[in-house]
Amino acid sequence: MTTKTPAATVSPTGKPAPIGRSTTAQKRSSRRRSYTLLVGCALAGLIGLLALVSFFWLPYAADDTSGGRLTAPSADHLLGTDKLGRDLFTQVMNGSQIAVQAGLGSVLIAATIGVTLGVLAAFAQGWLDDTLSAFLDILIAFPTLLLAMLIVAARSATLSSAVLAIGLAQSAVVGRLVRILVKRVLAQDYITAARTSGTSWSRIVAGHVLPNIWPTLVVNLALQFGLAVLAEAGLSYLGLGAPPPHASWGRMLQEAQATFTTAPAGALAPGILLVLLVIGVNLIADGLRDTLDPTTRGRRA
Amino acid sequence: MSIKKSALYATATAATLALTLSACGGGTTTGSSSGGGHDPDATVNIGSLYEPQNLDNTAGGGQGVTEALNGNVYEGLFRLTDDGKVDKLLAEDHKVSPDGLTYTFTLRDKVTFHSGKKLTSQDVKYSLEKVIAKDSQSARKSNLEVIQSIATPDPRTVQVKLSKKSISFIYNLSYVWIINSEARELKTSEDGTGPYKLNKWTRGSALSLDRFSGYWGDAASNKQVVFRYFKDANALNNALLTNAVDVVTSEQSPDALDQFKNNQNYKVNEGNSTTKLLLAFNDKVKPFTDAKVRQAVSAAIDDKKLLESVWGGHGKLIGSMVPPTDPWYEDLTAIDTYDTERAKKLLGEAGYPKGFSFTLDTPNYDPHPTAATFITSQLAKVGITVKINTITPDEWYTKVYKNRGFEATLQEHVNDRDLVWYGNPDFYWGYNDPQVTQWVEQAEQSSTAAEQTELLKKVNRKTAEDAASDWLYLYPQIVVASSKLSGYPLNGLNSQFYAYDIKKG
Repeated sequence: MTTKTPAATVSPTGKPAPIGRSTTAQKRSSRRRSYTLLVGCALAGLIGLLALVSFFWLPYAADDTSGGRLTAPSADHLLGTDKLGRDLFTQVMNGSQIAVQAGLGSVLIAATIGVTLGVLAAFAQGWLDDTLSAFLDILIAFPTLLLAMLIVAARSATLSSAVLAIGLAQSAVVGRLVRILVKRVLAQDYITAARTSGTSWSRIVAGHVLPNIWPTLVVNLALQFGLAVLAEAGLSYLGLGAPPPHASWGRMLQEAQATFTTAPAGALAPGILLVLLVIGVNLIADGLRDTLDPTTRGRRA
Repeated sequence: MSIKKSALYATATAATLALTLSACGGGTTTGSSSGGGHDPDATVNIGSLYEPQNLDNTAGGGQGVTEALNGNVYEGLFRLTDDGKVDKLLAEDHKVSPDGLTYTFTLRDKVTFHSGKKLTSQDVKYSLEKVIAKDSQSARKSNLEVIQSIATPDPRTVQVKLSKKSISFIYNLSYVWIINSEARELKTSEDGTGPYKLNKWTRGSALSLDRFSGYWGDAASNKQVVFRYFKDANALNNALLTNAVDVVTSEQSPDALDQFKNNQNYKVNEGNSTTKLLLAFNDKVKPFTDAKVRQAVSAAIDDKKLLESVWGGHGKLIGSMVPPTDPWYEDLTAIDTYDTERAKKLLGEAGYPKGFSFTLDTPNYDPHPTAATFITSQLAKVGITVKINTITPDEWYTKVYKNRGFEATLQEHVNDRDLVWYGNPDFYWGYNDPQVTQWVEQAEQSSTAAEQTELLKKVNRKTAEDAASDWLYLYPQIVVASSKLSGYPLNGLNSQFYAYDIKKG
């Protein structure tokens, strides 16, 4: 479905590949694609592993305050301790758990609501389509953080409130994308053929529409995952995300801000992990786009 | 009197950071460095985190308006000095009738407002009525409601009749600005009698004051004062490091101090504060109705370690609501010592041998989340489960302060002499002890300060023994200034910041 120039025709230097060497260039760039995916998986996998391990094992108990105030990194405390004497590595591990939960939760909500609304809008005709599209546009124009603050104010500041808010905001983005994708599929001749042969709409959605839109959708959802992680960190930074004593990276950054000059590890560690996770997920999205793009796939074959 | 209403309103209106602190205390004005070598026409830049919401202290201007305008632009009949004494200011003399109900004030002669109008008794009457008006949001409104009538027999005499005796009346008058009765638009302009007049207020950035040439007293030691407002403490410290500001009214991070301590271009001053961090129980809600439970919770929290964690060696431990600068201070820290065994025993006696669980409403700005995290980990050791509920300052004001829909909360209380709130059973923490209420009332009616002090000492001890709240610690009040500066206030009592004595070398 994408009509953009496939990455395969551009050499790693960014210049168009010379015509005669196109086969080599394609090989090289397909290898680069798999590197992108590989590096992305490695980065995101590292955080995922931290999160997974934190369920079973932590260096210290989350509420252990015996470490001393703002001690420097040492063998006992790999990243040092915070003001209250809690181990920073333990907190960073707990934070990765929250980041992954926030990302997965938001994307799940965004996918469920977004796909439903998008398909509905694509099938709808006339005023219903207009209404749904207008609704999605308004929701997109509404800043995620503001929406999140409203939801947190109405419920309370918990991780689930934050995830709900972020997921809702993102479902609009997903919804609009799905609507366009589905509309494009519905215009195809084979849909008309399927209809005339008596296939029901639900079977058309399951058998033709979803398989055709999912590559683009998955790439978009991967990007949304990164944005959701950032949004949760932003909310926690403002004190509206997962409540203490849960160690969200955003709140760790906020807490370490005042002590950055004396104990930089407290801000650097969550900051770096946040960047790694988001870059990792974006690389995965890039790699997936290239791998799943049927246009590219066709050329390669 | 105690919880600083102006601070609450600042909060309610906006600035998340605004409540974070403000401090008070009693002490002396610094006399450091440069004796006579100052520039009388200097501009002093003051860095602060507390921008006023508006310029009217009876309309929710917040603590920022007190900081910038109190004593600088507006003056009262009396002045609360930086070391906590009450001096005559616009009142030249005052007499109290033998029954203690009629106060007669003689106004200072030849005082003019910035607009040029002469101060008369009519202006004093207007200003007092403004504070006790129905829509007034003044922090001292409820205390001044003892005013029954105000008479102005001649332009220099004001006679105030009280409905009952009030020994704090003169003290409370130091909070009342005397405003030109003909002035309008007080939220954005001013007409006071102080040593400075307002030059310009640029919202979100700065408020500048110029020396008033027609001032009745000694002219200010500098020509202009500019309050520069910051949202972030780090940005404020950087401004001080780059000489964009000369002094920071109240430092909030002990870890930022090192860069100034080891630098001879700056002076770090630690004054006396009256800001207390409280774990306030809702004494009307189970299980906190039982004093033993409150004592147990207090004993299970290591206040010393918390203070060290948050303030890194600054600040003091307190055993009650009374800071050392209040006349009725007694060191009661021995009543609530850190002792988990005693905490467990008390819990057992109260019928909670296995502990219980409660929700702690925690304002979402420093130091509350840190303190809440610490309390959670400490109470877990005696079997008490704490659920932290993060709330915004607005929510705190509605949910906790107004509707009292809470079990326990964390809050800073900035004012001096605020022990008396424990005598009010309708205050948000719901402490209700008829004996304490009676003592507080009697103290207010007493004829001598000694009598008042003795009664309030009893209140102090009783509330501490009852663990009416858990007073976690007393904040430090840290003023950092360029070493070229002298004469700045150290204690910032009730968040005042008198600028007229500041000399810049």
